[in-house]
Amino acid sequence: MTLDTLIAEARSRLLARARREGLADVGYAVVESPLGPLWIAVGPRGVAVISYGGAPNAADLGRLVRTYGPGIVPDARRTAAVARELDQYFSGRRRSFDVAFDLSGLTPFQQGVLRATARVRYGDLATYRTVAQRAGNAAAARAAGAAVGANPIPIVVPCHRVVASDGSLGGYAGGLDAKRRLLAIERGDDVPTGGWLRSGDP
Amino acid sequence: MVRTFGELLERYERELFAYALRLSADRDEADDLYQDTFLAAFRAWPPPRSGNERAWLYRIATNKAIDRSRRTRPRVKLEDIELAAPERDSATTLDVARAVELLPPGQRAAFVLRQVQGLPYAEIAETLGCSEVAARARVSEATKVVRRRIA
Repeated sequence: MTLDTLIAEARSRLLARARREGLADVGYAVVESPLGPLWIAVGPRGVAVISYGGAPNAADLGRLVRTYGPGIVPDARRTAAVARELDQYFSGRRRSFDVAFDLSGLTPFQQGVLRATARVRYGDLATYRTVAQRAGNAAAARAAGAAVGANPIPIVVPCHRVVASDGSLGGYAGGLDAKRRLLAIERGDDVPTGGWLRSGDP
Repeated sequence: MVRTFGELLERYERELFAYALRLSADRDEADDLYQDTFLAAFRAWPPPRSGNERAWLYRIATNKAIDRSRRTRPRVKLEDIELAAPERDSATTLDVARAVELLPPGQRAAFVLRQVQGLPYAEIAETLGCSEVAARARVSEATKVVRRRIA
C-alpha cells in the first residue's frame, strides 16, 4: 500500500460524496491518443471540452466554470465512454460518435456553426463558407471560421473536415499535422496535389 | 489562482493527505479528515483570499483535527507516520512520532506544520488563526517539548 494508493482511494470516496451533494457536475481526465494527450471534460449534457496537449486552454476552462461553476473534478469514469469511442475512431473502427456533446455557454451563432460542422460526414469536407451558409448566415464566412477555429470539442465535432474555399487546409487547434492525420484516417490519403477539395465536395 | 475543485485537489491533496496522516490515529481517520477537509472547502467555496488556498486548507484540516481530538484521544499508528515520511530514519521517526502523539492538538498541529510540512510562519499563523509572532512561539514551544521527550 503506497501513499498514492491511499490518496486515490480517499479521493474516489470524496468525489462520491461531492457528487451526492451536487458539488461535482463536470468530470475530466487526460487520455492518450495518437495525436498526443487529450484533456476531456464531460458535464451533465455530454462531452463539453476536448483539449489538445493534456490541459484545458483558458477559454474552454473559463466557459466550463461560467456554465457549471467550480465543481469540475478529475473523474475518469465520466470520460470513459467518449475515451472508448475516440479509441475506436483512431483505429478506424468508428465513423460517427454516439456520445452527446455540450455547447452550452457559447453564443447562438457559434453553436449554429458547430452544429453545422457536426453534420459534415466522415470522410467529407466542407468550406468555412458552406458551414456559415448552413448556420444561416452565408455572409459570415470569416466569423464562421473563427467559431470553427475555437471549437471546444475537436474530433467529436469534426472541425478538421472544414477547409478553406481555395482548397488549402485552413487552420487547426491541434496543429496542421493533426488535421492531416485525421483526414488521412478518414480519407486514406495524404495531402493531395491541387488542394484538399475534390470535385463533388461541397 | 485556483478556479476549480479539481485544480485545488491536484495542487494540494497530496500534502494535505500527508498532513492528515500526521494528525490522525490511523489511515482510516486520515482518510476521513482528508475527505472532510476538501468537502468543507468545496462547500465554503471560494477560498477567502486569492492565492492563499493552501493556508485555508491547512486551517480547515487543523480545526477539524482539533475538534475530533476533543472527542477522542488520538493515537498514531507508527507505520502510517513512516508511510508519510518514508525517507526518514525509522528509529528517529518512531521516537518523534511517540513524542508528537503526546502533544495537545494545537501544539501538535504547530509542530507538524513547521517541522514536517515545512510551511512558512506566515502560513502557519494563518492556519492557526494567530499572529506570526504567536505562531513562532507555538512552534518553538512544541519543538522544545518534542526535543525533551526524545532526548
